[in-house]
Amino acid sequence: MPALWQLLGKDESDAAHLFAVFRQDTKNDPHVHVGDVHATDPEMALVLAKEQFARRDPCVNLWVVPYTAVAATAYDEAEMFEPAIDKSYRFGGSYREQQRVMKGPRRPSPPEPRRGTQGRRGG
Amino acid sequence: MTEPAGVLPRVTGLAGYLLAIADDELILGHRHSEWTGFAPDIESDVALSSIAQEEIGHARLFYEQAAALLGGSADTLAYGRSAGEFRNAILTERLNDDWGYSIVRLFLYDRADAVRLEALAGGTARSLADLAAALRREEKYHLLYGEQWLRRLAGASDEAHARIQGALDAAWPEAVGVFEPVEEERTVVESGIMTLDAAAQAERWRREVTAVLEELGLRVTEERGGPGGRSGTHSEDLTVLLGDMTEVWRAEPGATW
Repeated sequence: MPALWQLLGKDESDAAHLFAVFRQDTKNDPHVHVGDVHATDPEMALVLAKEQFARRDPCVNLWVVPYTAVAATAYDEAEMFEPAIDKSYRFGGSYREQQRVMKGPRRPSPPEPRRGTQGRRGG
Repeated sequence: MTEPAGVLPRVTGLAGYLLAIADDELILGHRHSEWTGFAPDIESDVALSSIAQEEIGHARLFYEQAAALLGGSADTLAYGRSAGEFRNAILTERLNDDWGYSIVRLFLYDRADAVRLEALAGGTARSLADLAAALRREEKYHLLYGEQWLRRLAGASDEAHARIQGALDAAWPEAVGVFEPVEEERTVVESGIMTLDAAAQAERWRREVTAVLEELGLRVTEERGGPGGRSGTHSEDLTVLLGDMTEVWRAEPGATW
């Protein structure tokens, strides 16, 4: 299992100063990798990440993770993610509830206006 | 007596006091902006550029308050005055020199600004108290950025430490000068608009910054303050800065864009 810094062609001392930044938009959202910062240490990485990645976008929490701490799969093994046979049954696309969950906005949207008739959103 | 929101009390000296704050923020914001494209790394460049924008934004808010008392607009106050009419602390107009000096100055100034805003936030002029309270939230990041950079530079190599000590020696007397009282400050304090006078603010600031400096093995070698700039006496650095900053405004007075 390669370390991510090896995959990126960096040496380890370089990678120790490279931090992946994860931003959480609201308390109900997952932390999402939004980019990286160079910094001497995690505390400084958080200071710098705030202005790089939370200046315009909503944010309630930031994580920084040194690249030396990240394990990764190798790109030349990417074919292990490709299904060899038809596995469309795993998608469950015909379930209405699943469509709602998967397509829903990341942030809570305002409540839908009440509709006079039922069933307009079917299908 | 608490004034209704949006109405400034007619207190002698208040307009000058607001101008001093606005001038500090504008001039230092301009100095910070000179690092755009030149800071040691891209992350710090973006962060300091953002801080520069915020300081200039704060300046505008204080100019608007001053303009309500003096007439004119934020723009005419910012761009239409000569160096002798500026009330900023001399500390804020000094050339950046090197990154170490800029960080030491940012640390010393923002700590002073925090004490000043706290005194306003607790004061009786509601529109100023609300403004100060809002700005303090944004200033929190400036304090963090300045202190974290200072800690790293002071704790890096012997050379870095020596250069930071040199920057501190240069900045200290003029940083004390941030608390030089503006004309008729007494009436502003007596009106209750700020809860601490300049001397009490200076004492508090000195206690807070020396605690951090001592922890980092830095010494304050010169206790006394230098000239502050609040009466309009400035260095040549300000004249040059204003020449740059107002060039476009002077080229086409009254133009809007």
